[in-house]
Amino acid sequence: PALAKENNCLNAAKACNLNDTCKKYRSAYISPCTSRVSTAEVCNKRKCHKALRQFFDKVPLRHSYGMLYCSCPPGDQSACSERRRQTIVPACSYEEKDKPNCLALQESCKSNYICRSRLADFFSNCQPEVRSLSGCLKENFADCLLSYSGLIGTVMTPNYLRSPKISVSPFCDCSNSGNSREDCEQFTKFFTDNVCLRNAIQAFGNGTDVSTWHSTAV
Amino acid sequence: ELIKGQGRGCLLKEIHLNVTDLGLGYQTKEELIFRYCSGPCYDSETNYDKILNNLTQNKKLDKESPSQTCCRPVAFDDDLSFLDDSLEYHTLKKHSAKKCACV
Repeated sequence: PALAKENNCLNAAKACNLNDTCKKYRSAYISPCTSRVSTAEVCNKRKCHKALRQFFDKVPLRHSYGMLYCSCPPGDQSACSERRRQTIVPACSYEEKDKPNCLALQESCKSNYICRSRLADFFSNCQPEVRSLSGCLKENFADCLLSYSGLIGTVMTPNYLRSPKISVSPFCDCSNSGNSREDCEQFTKFFTDNVCLRNAIQAFGNGTDVSTWHSTAV
Repeated sequence: ELIKGQGRGCLLKEIHLNVTDLGLGYQTKEELIFRYCSGPCYDSETNYDKILNNLTQNKKLDKESPSQTCCRPVAFDDDLSFLDDSLEYHTLKKHSAKKCACV
């Protein structure tokens, strides 16, 4: 059927390259994020992160969100979802040789003022509330999506995990947590299993959230 | 008033293409706007061009035929990036025109 073949993430990439602003800032981050600087490093991560922050700062949301929050058929593990995972060029912006502990990563985020404030915004705006219809304590998907995308280009850069459900995480885990294991798992769950964030992403992908357009019109 | 060096007919045009239409060997479903320069450049001919014309017609230049005024890009569009079917990114530079002139 035609519907199953529709790749929303590909369509968003096409729309971006037909828009001069999106095209310009897209290649402005893909270049540094894919240029090898030495035999040891696949890219200059600092430049890649900076260009990614610029992309989400300067490009109209319908294009930047269109690529970041595009919806893929449930169970799709290939064309659509892989493209969505590649949006931020994870080989440079996300992956590291070693996976740090999430609480240690949070500490290093707190030592940087951009990261610290963006992480605080994310925790405040994507706070889940199971009793609310939206799944969010602050019933505002637009603010949640904005704070999530604001983390991209910090040490807390999150990305989609290869999972049948929508699940995201920064590049860290809870090994070597010692007696802070519970705190660490609570921290990771806010990313990987957050009903507010998941509903916000799904609502954007399905085009069912009109508030996003009204409250953050650029 | 015509700007010197700019032919009246030499214009920036654009066409919506698939990246594969470019024939550069990439396998992808992504698309782009390709801009190119096209049109005649008679208006901006210099004495140099007239002399070349006359010398060619009078067969004074043996077998040589030096190029004449051409409608060409004098500035290029921003770079274009795309993801190919094997999930690899590519960035094209100087692939599309931004400004044209008779040169």
